[in-house]
Amino acid sequence: MTIWWFCPRTQRVHDTQELNCACVQELIDRQLPEGGWPFTTVTTQWAVGPTALALLALPSNSVRERDAAIRFLLRTQNANGSWPAFSGDDEAGSGLTGLALYALNRCCVQGMVTDRAIQWLIESRGWESHWLWKWKFRTSDHHVRFDPDKFGWPWIPETVSWVVPTAYSILALKYARGIPQQGPVQFRIRHGVEMLHDRICPGGGWNAGNGVVYGFPLSPHADVTALALLSLLNEPPNHFITSSLDWLERRADTCFAPWSLAWTILALDAFGRPTELVVDRLASVVDPAEVKDCATLAVVSLAFARAPGDNAFRVADET
Amino acid sequence: MKLDRRTFLTASLGLAAGASTTALPNRPKYHVARRQPRSRVAILGAESYSHKLESILQYGLGLFHLDVRGKTVLLKPNLVDYISGNHINTHPLLVCAAVECFRRLGAKNVLVGEGPGHQRDTELVLLESGFSEALRQVSVPFVDLNRDELAITPLLAGYTGMKCLWLPRTVLEADFVVSMPKVKTHHWSGVTLSMKNMFGVVPGAKYGWPKNILHWKGIQESILDLCATVPIHFVIADAIVAMEGNGPLNGHPRPLNRIVLSDDPVAADATCMRLMGLGPARITHIRIGAQFLGNASTERIDQLADVVCAPANPFEVVPEFQHLRVTGSAQRDS
Repeated sequence: MTIWWFCPRTQRVHDTQELNCACVQELIDRQLPEGGWPFTTVTTQWAVGPTALALLALPSNSVRERDAAIRFLLRTQNANGSWPAFSGDDEAGSGLTGLALYALNRCCVQGMVTDRAIQWLIESRGWESHWLWKWKFRTSDHHVRFDPDKFGWPWIPETVSWVVPTAYSILALKYARGIPQQGPVQFRIRHGVEMLHDRICPGGGWNAGNGVVYGFPLSPHADVTALALLSLLNEPPNHFITSSLDWLERRADTCFAPWSLAWTILALDAFGRPTELVVDRLASVVDPAEVKDCATLAVVSLAFARAPGDNAFRVADET
Repeated sequence: MKLDRRTFLTASLGLAAGASTTALPNRPKYHVARRQPRSRVAILGAESYSHKLESILQYGLGLFHLDVRGKTVLLKPNLVDYISGNHINTHPLLVCAAVECFRRLGAKNVLVGEGPGHQRDTELVLLESGFSEALRQVSVPFVDLNRDELAITPLLAGYTGMKCLWLPRTVLEADFVVSMPKVKTHHWSGVTLSMKNMFGVVPGAKYGWPKNILHWKGIQESILDLCATVPIHFVIADAIVAMEGNGPLNGHPRPLNRIVLSDDPVAADATCMRLMGLGPARITHIRIGAQFLGNASTERIDQLADVVCAPANPFEVVPEFQHLRVTGSAQRDS
């Protein structure tokens, strides 16, 4: 059970390196014996989201914990190459497959497991790509503004594409090791990028994936915008990216939630925008022991760790 | 005519197949019957969001003689997102008033739980909507149902065709579930009231943001399957400032200055629709829900406080739901 007791937050700005060490120690303390992480400490039900993010956040000197996490991800892969969302989930595959593969890529894991995951990502697609639904969206269902020719990845099979699983999948395919960046991989990356461009909110930024509904523009969300931007990191500069970065900077001024602030820092830093004030804000609102959600704790750690130039999502130069 | 064995068998099979096909639509698709002979609703006046809500609510709950002593009570408000100036969410003061009232009634535990369907950062919604501070003041724990421990749960109705759903343990283990919707129109489902509010118990960790599978399987059908599976024991609907037009996010505020209480979600939603000037029988999940989940007919609902008073101008809705709007005698008949 995820329970947050609402304690008054400290406003003192802590040293970010110190805070990051505390985050990492909390993550290590919360790792399950089998190597994965749950969302919160009150359950032992592991989930792939916090596990992949924690693996990305663990520093290279946490050898034992990283190895356990890698072995855990290798062990929990579905037979079809995807990953389930959590312990007990069915084997059809989840929208977190891209995140799990990306985390393994960053740990230099390569082989049958990653090949199978890449193949699953190539084959998995939102239902709007099916001719029947494409026809429906073209002829009779115009309430949501989007182009069904531009498809990405769904959260679960037999549903349409959404921004978060698409961004994770683009990241995984772009930075997969040892595969040719052409043919079907390139085809899916290009379509995914086009889908992100298509689903952008008017004025920049992304929400779950509905930019305009019933002719009314919907608001973007900071975490989703940051993640979409990270997946577009090595794309040629364009107004989608610039307007979204501008929006994210403006949004950060009034944001006090650790998850959104941490994603914001990672994206702004990756694009070379200043982050000092946002990092200070995050440091002032976070007490690692009080962050009950392991996924949030991991992203906060990633945001603090990026200070010495170690941004887990700034990998464009490596490929 | 000579009837050989082969012909007889073929004809029998054909007849059986035909009979089963024609019988299917008439067969009930629910495996649970919660409709009571009569239901109770209390419409309470409340001019604004203030600390007076606690005394209003205490009076209203007293009309129902609820026994929640020793029980774990889960309050499920409607928390979607935060947009400054838009009345999107159940007001935190109403939720805090409910916390205090259920504690006073002897509940063992009172929890507040929600799994927003649009915004992944639940803490952000809590902080910006004022919930964090309000819940802290009454020291009540909040459960993010999107990231709770999950258990596979067989569905007790079959309108979507799904056999089961993963649901949060907090919801499954609660003794007394209180749906606390914001009274709003909705561009996909017509209205979002106590039954539609239960979409928030479906976990994003499994089904994503938004919980798109519920749309693909049919919103009305999903509401019925969910409400059959997760019983709503009580409803406290926030109609102090409701929303009309392009809800659930971008409609316009519409003050009704009411709180609606009920021991039956179908009766609560039907009453809210009448207060909105909309016809409850014209919404599928209320019409079918009235067969097994509760009572929609005014003849089966005891009004414990104010009487239903339909507005002169029904709530605005998006074009697809214009047929919901009723006036005059049609309002009474609906």
